[in-house]
Amino acid sequence: MQAFHIHYRNTQGTLMRILNAVSRRGLEMPSVHAEAAGQNHRVTLLLEVAPKQVGQLCREWYAIVDVTEVRSAAHGHEQADAWAAPHPPASTNGSGQSAQAALA
Amino acid sequence: MIRGAEIVLRCLEAEGVDLVFGYPGGAIMPLYDALDGSGVRHILTRHEQGAVFAAEGYARVTGRVGVAIATSGPGATNLVTGIADAKMDSVPLVCITGQVRSPLIGTDAFQETEVFGVTLSLTKWSRLVRTLDEIPEVIAEGFHWARSGRPGPVVIDIPTDLLKAKKEFAGRVKFAAGTSPTRNEESAFAAPIVALLQQAARPVALVGAGAKLGGAIPQLRQLLDDLNIPTFATVHGLGAVPSESPYYLGMVGMHGTRAANMALHETDLLLVFGARLDDRVTGEPTRFAPHAKIVHFEIDPAQLDRVRACDVPVIGDLAETIPAFHEALRRIPRSRKSGETWGTQPDGSLADWSEWRAVACGRERAELDPRGLAQPTIRFLDELFGRLPQNSVVIADVGQHQMWAAQRYRANSPRGFITSGGLGAMGFALPAAVGVQLAKPDACVLCVSGDGGFQMNIQELATVHRLGLPVKMVIIDNKYLGMVRQWQQLFYERNYAETDLSDNPDFVEIAKAYKIHAWRLNEDAMREFPVASETGDLIDSFLRSQQPELLVFDCHPEANVYPMVPAGAALSEMVFEEE
Repeated sequence: MQAFHIHYRNTQGTLMRILNAVSRRGLEMPSVHAEAAGQNHRVTLLLEVAPKQVGQLCREWYAIVDVTEVRSAAHGHEQADAWAAPHPPASTNGSGQSAQAALA
Repeated sequence: MIRGAEIVLRCLEAEGVDLVFGYPGGAIMPLYDALDGSGVRHILTRHEQGAVFAAEGYARVTGRVGVAIATSGPGATNLVTGIADAKMDSVPLVCITGQVRSPLIGTDAFQETEVFGVTLSLTKWSRLVRTLDEIPEVIAEGFHWARSGRPGPVVIDIPTDLLKAKKEFAGRVKFAAGTSPTRNEESAFAAPIVALLQQAARPVALVGAGAKLGGAIPQLRQLLDDLNIPTFATVHGLGAVPSESPYYLGMVGMHGTRAANMALHETDLLLVFGARLDDRVTGEPTRFAPHAKIVHFEIDPAQLDRVRACDVPVIGDLAETIPAFHEALRRIPRSRKSGETWGTQPDGSLADWSEWRAVACGRERAELDPRGLAQPTIRFLDELFGRLPQNSVVIADVGQHQMWAAQRYRANSPRGFITSGGLGAMGFALPAAVGVQLAKPDACVLCVSGDGGFQMNIQELATVHRLGLPVKMVIIDNKYLGMVRQWQQLFYERNYAETDLSDNPDFVEIAKAYKIHAWRLNEDAMREFPVASETGDLIDSFLRSQQPELLVFDCHPEANVYPMVPAGAALSEMVFEEE
């Protein structure tokens, strides 16, 4: 199980677009929790996903106009230091770290 | 005080819109009422799908935002296929739909459809307008998102009471977007790619639509000239690279050239420029470019790693990332030219990739159809394309004729070949040609359809006639849904279930009913080579006519498109005839 935090501006349809990225893949959504977070909103999703889908989902969420931040962690390990490499996706650089971020 | 409808039109004008395509109806009537006297010209199509495809054609050939207008309910739902098409092919499109009066929303009122919800997953951005005050802001933001980054479709749904209501119009609102979260901060990506290039023995380049969408064609061509490595294009990348370039191997993918597909299979370094790498390009993804590291230049991070993982992502506008890479390439001395070590193929069949180019551009015609059933059609397309004036645009529908046209297209204009590639929407070509011809009144616009697809939007012959557009329409008539029939032949034991169209209407007579000149050419006219001078003259006069013209070409019913990569096969496993 993977946990995702997606921060977004609460404009028309943005939450639906976030959820659509999940439903179009036929994934179950055992837990969805959306709430105000500062000036924006945040939705937390628990999903059973294949490892490759983690990166695909993160990048698809980032392509949504009003999504501002995406983070993911294995469920049960969501303490601050366990959240995955920083997004947004970035190009590769000499160290390869950014490439890992882009494709995480 | 002016009406909301007039505010909409003034906002469209402020966005540079002078041409829209649409179809009137109840909820959108106030907007139509306000058209007269505005600076916006409206083109009436005969179906909302015709309107949205025409807007797409206009957008695809100009790079500007296309605008389609429809009423609520069925008017809006008839736009859906075009919206999906624009999403798949990254077309900047704004659809404005009327909605039932605000108090009726949610009551299942007459012609009420929740178009916002229906199109949510197909749009890049959308809004249901709730107040008169927000109209300028919504339109400004909608146009921004339609044309920015990876372009795409936008839907703006406006209740009819807001279109009728009046208020003071303060003028255009400019939308200022925040910093894109995917923007490239530096060009540190370039050095690792140069290093990979220096190590590679068989590097290749794959060009998609991204370079033309990003206005990066000159930069891309300069880079490729310098790289001088085998290069091929997706169907949307056709024209991005001049076909006479010594390194160009043609189209890649399911019906790509043998040369392009084999080079892609053998490469050890694949540079992808603005292509999504969808399944029609990759074949079986687990066996796509099996020996290669992949460098992917792409503006939309959502396209990375979808079908096949890439090793080096380069996220950003290709107009920025390509020059940055090229600059790094120029700074670092290379011990040899990248392509020089091509030629160590184990079977020795093609000792040098330049020989592959000879295959791609020389004997290719035989490669396309060994049994010869498609030869007359291929020759016919060659005759057509070879006689096109310089400023021509070819619009292909969807099916066998689309792939033949893509294989034979040789022009060098990045926006000279237009088709529904991602969605593969039959019926696209004729209305799209209307939009293209209106955008390019002096261009020769050639619309190539099949007999199945042409009938899907045949009503737009009325639009062509009304406007007197000199569109040259060709129907490749094989009296089948040809591509489906081909798959039935090859993979379903010739069970031609529901693909027989032998009872087609007489297209020539139909065109005449629309007051459009039409004639028929039998494929026998293409059996002699070169073609008879009378036939050539007929084709010339067809292409140079100042009136709309329809030419029906009789194609063999069982002509097939080859090469073909069967579903689930690798690109190297092309078939060249029925086994």
